[in-house]
Amino acid sequence: MKRLILLPLLAVTLALAACGSSGSNGSSSGSSGPAPAGGSKNGHTTITVWQGDTETEAAGFKKLVAEFNQTHPNITVVSQFYGNSDYALQKVLAAIAGGKPPDISYLYGSWAPNIATNPQLATLNKFIDADPSFDWNDFFPAERKVATVGNKIIGIPALVDNLALVYNKTLFKQAGIPLPTANWTWSQFEAAAIKLTNPAKKQFGWAYVNDASEDTVWRFWAMLWQAGGSILSPDGKQAGFDSSAGIKALTLLQQLTQHHAIYLDDGSDNYLSVFNNGHIGMLWTGPWDLAQIVQSKVDYGVTILPADENHQTISGPDNWVMFNNGAAREQAAWTFLKWLTSPAIDLQWVTLTGDLPVRASVAKLPGYKKYVAKYPGVGVWAANLNNATQARPQSTKYPKISTAIGQAVQSVLLGKASPKDALNQASQQVNGILAAPG
Amino acid sequence: MSAHSATGIAVHRRPSLLKRLVASDHLAGWVFVAPAVILIAVFAIIPIGWSLLLSLQANNLIAPAHYVGLANYRALTKDAAFRSAIGHTVVYTVIFVPVSVAGALALAVALNRKIRGIRFYRLAVFVPLVTSTVATGIIFLWLLDPTFGLVNYVLHLVGIPQQQFLQDPNQALYCIVAMTVWSWLGFDVIIYLAALQGIPGDLLEASEMDGAGKWSTFRSIVLPLLGPATLFIVVWSTINALQLFDEIYVTTRGGPLESTTVIVYYLYQQAFQFFNGGYGAAIAYVLFVAILIVTLLQLWVGRRRVYYTS
Amino acid sequence: MSVQPAVSVPERFPRLPDAQPSPRRARLPFSAWHLLLAPVAAIMLVPLVWMVIVSLETRQQATSFPPQLIPSSIHLGNYSAAWNAVPFGQFFVNSLIYSLATVAGNLLFCSLAAYAFARIRFFGREVLFVVLLATLMVPFQVILIPTFLIVKKLGLVDTLGGLIMPNLCSAFGIFMLRQFFRTLPIELEEAARIDGTSRLGILFKIVLPLSLPALATLGIIQFMWSWNDFLWPLIIIDSQKHAPLQLGLSQLQGAHFTQWNLLMAGTVMSQIPMLAVFLLAQRWFIRSVAFTGIK
Repeated sequence: MKRLILLPLLAVTLALAACGSSGSNGSSSGSSGPAPAGGSKNGHTTITVWQGDTETEAAGFKKLVAEFNQTHPNITVVSQFYGNSDYALQKVLAAIAGGKPPDISYLYGSWAPNIATNPQLATLNKFIDADPSFDWNDFFPAERKVATVGNKIIGIPALVDNLALVYNKTLFKQAGIPLPTANWTWSQFEAAAIKLTNPAKKQFGWAYVNDASEDTVWRFWAMLWQAGGSILSPDGKQAGFDSSAGIKALTLLQQLTQHHAIYLDDGSDNYLSVFNNGHIGMLWTGPWDLAQIVQSKVDYGVTILPADENHQTISGPDNWVMFNNGAAREQAAWTFLKWLTSPAIDLQWVTLTGDLPVRASVAKLPGYKKYVAKYPGVGVWAANLNNATQARPQSTKYPKISTAIGQAVQSVLLGKASPKDALNQASQQVNGILAAPG
Repeated sequence: MSAHSATGIAVHRRPSLLKRLVASDHLAGWVFVAPAVILIAVFAIIPIGWSLLLSLQANNLIAPAHYVGLANYRALTKDAAFRSAIGHTVVYTVIFVPVSVAGALALAVALNRKIRGIRFYRLAVFVPLVTSTVATGIIFLWLLDPTFGLVNYVLHLVGIPQQQFLQDPNQALYCIVAMTVWSWLGFDVIIYLAALQGIPGDLLEASEMDGAGKWSTFRSIVLPLLGPATLFIVVWSTINALQLFDEIYVTTRGGPLESTTVIVYYLYQQAFQFFNGGYGAAIAYVLFVAILIVTLLQLWVGRRRVYYTS
Repeated sequence: MSVQPAVSVPERFPRLPDAQPSPRRARLPFSAWHLLLAPVAAIMLVPLVWMVIVSLETRQQATSFPPQLIPSSIHLGNYSAAWNAVPFGQFFVNSLIYSLATVAGNLLFCSLAAYAFARIRFFGREVLFVVLLATLMVPFQVILIPTFLIVKKLGLVDTLGGLIMPNLCSAFGIFMLRQFFRTLPIELEEAARIDGTSRLGILFKIVLPLSLPALATLGIIQFMWSWNDFLWPLIIIDSQKHAPLQLGLSQLQGAHFTQWNLLMAGTVMSQIPMLAVFLLAQRWFIRSVAFTGIK
């Protein structure tokens, strides 16, 4: 029986020993220092960056950080993985509550308006104004809009994407229809989607993410803009999407659903695998899917989205956001971000990862051709950034608005509501959200 | 402080208050629970108190908060989405708890015998439990995919038309029940298995010698002796079912058309998508009180109906 | 309605109901229970089988949808690739420390508390029990941030200690063990009390040895929880060298794109210790039979 008593006691002792030893490590860097692994001493500054990169991007980022640390002897950048799902937000919120957020964090663009309310957030206008060589206007308009809340610049664009039309050439040939062009209209798109559909072969003309999340909603915004509509009224106080343009967009979805021409993705992004296995004719998607499409050996093409009134697309940029942990570290963080998003380094980054350049001037660099050649089709997306002329409202209320629209789009896709009724209901909800205080 | 110094009489007859305290069960009890109470107080009770304050604030968890009194709670009473979340949670719990407890009991009884391969069977039942929720979600999304899923394929073979499962607002919640029963059954089973070890064999033998059938032995002896374990499993399953979140997060995300938006998912949405931290905390407190009432009710019923040795 | 067995139970001689083959069943070549258990086992094994298959496929096979259930070739290389993609060895060690420490803590602290709740009548017992139980009724998301702040106050952010401390004792374990302790024959304890054995002695010499199945169950469950824990490690751990396994596995899972074959190889590897612990602890389910004569 002795053994029985000793076993847990021994283990607890071990555990407490582990607490003690690692605890003492932690207190030297954790609680006394201004942030997890950071500090400034004798003109040398250490800053922490939180990012959620995996695989190629993780390797690429590690490489760039090493390069920066080597070329900037006075600054050490420590990069830490903080997750890449929505859960990452909870880590950031906990760090903010503890008063010790990282010096730099990668944050989703949709969080920006709320993050902007944090007093410790570093506003970047002073850095950007003081440094003409930074050239803020070189960033694409959609990016700048998402990085700006009111008149505060709260972040530097970290990643940018947009939706373009990717199609399976083989399926088009089988159906005997000409390939999509940059001059395509909605009616051509609709006719092709219906012709590409064949329920017996489990083949669909198009795919739509139907989980009522922002992934459902932003595709609808692109269509709304193409039809000449807008999300809110000009004064931003009322819903603007319940217009003829909105009805037109939802009617397109409704008709395609009635023809069973849309593969409804449940949010698990299976649409890509289904496309790669030759069961979907067309996708509206971004450069993040490109690597897998290339690997699947599908004979694919990329072009801009079809037009109703115009060929607008939508972009969902994310930001590098800085938190103020003292002037020295703020300056060091700025130095790092300026370096990281400079045209030459950005080109290096996109060539490593296949992401889109965050700056327009990257396209003028000599190495740009090599990048476009390395990822066939990526040039279409890069150029398509110029069609991303509008952005979602920069409001703390946007997530609620998005939820209301998500329900509206989903109810049409599931055949539970007409476009008109769905939009009516959503606009009532959105007007209520906009009228509420806060 | 002690009584004897004042009176000076009958000192040695009555031990001091301190001594009596030390010897008493009161002190012993508190000493035994002290480590647990300290740990749970620091890491659970204090945080729960903090979230009570949070529920009285307008707090986006980012900017400095301000006190709003009961405004969050008042808003909840008018929140139709919250009401429908309560409805989904109740439906889920009312189905999940009995199904999983009864299923686990049957399975545990089946697994509590010496037949060939029993270790393998027990391991198999344990497998879904150790499978991460993310993996479980992916597997079920595939199994239940309307176009390409295995389940529809099997249904097709027996002539049943294609179902939409997780993509049908009328079916999704029941699919979630099935999925969670599948993934949590092993949990209840191992607790029942442990409880079954405590049933004395001679009791069963005596009963069967008296001519009682297997079923009546089970009903009159096994089931009552499993009472404490059953009470525990019912209480624990209910507490968990009312706080369902992870499985929703990795599959339907509350949809389609909010048909699987349960209370904690709604709370998550409010706190971490809409940045209404205070409102989220208020939801948590309403849920907390509801669970507490249900649990106390269950314990009260259990006290009258469950047999203990002491 | 509760049926109180009239037989007093001075000692425990648990014997499995079916230990003796019943003559009626002798005609079947195998126990009829297989007819129930085999299909159930098959359904329960679906995820493991699926994960093993995906972990042996090429990157492209693994992402195909509908899934390819019969890989055209076997790629054991995914296992070494997953192992090398992230510092798996370090993650394993961290997870092991985290899990073993929380198992030990829960076994010890929950046993002590559960024994008091089951057997000692002390002031405030019922209320305290409900208060502890109430801590299970608040969703973790809500208490995440204050718990972080407390651990931070203790100077334990980004340490294994900070990971372990909040999980050393749970009301779940207390409740579960209390229920089991209350089913034990009280006569043994009373006899020992008369012999002058202390409360602690009774707990360790009589109650715990009789409760091995329950302790094993709690140990398994706690091990599994700590081993699979993701959200708390994500919040409290910043640096790679303190990260447990699930945090490491999430580094194989991209925002838009995941190498399922590598992730599943990593997941299968991460599950092996849990299954091993279960197999090991399973002995204790049956083991109590051996403790027939307690003196």
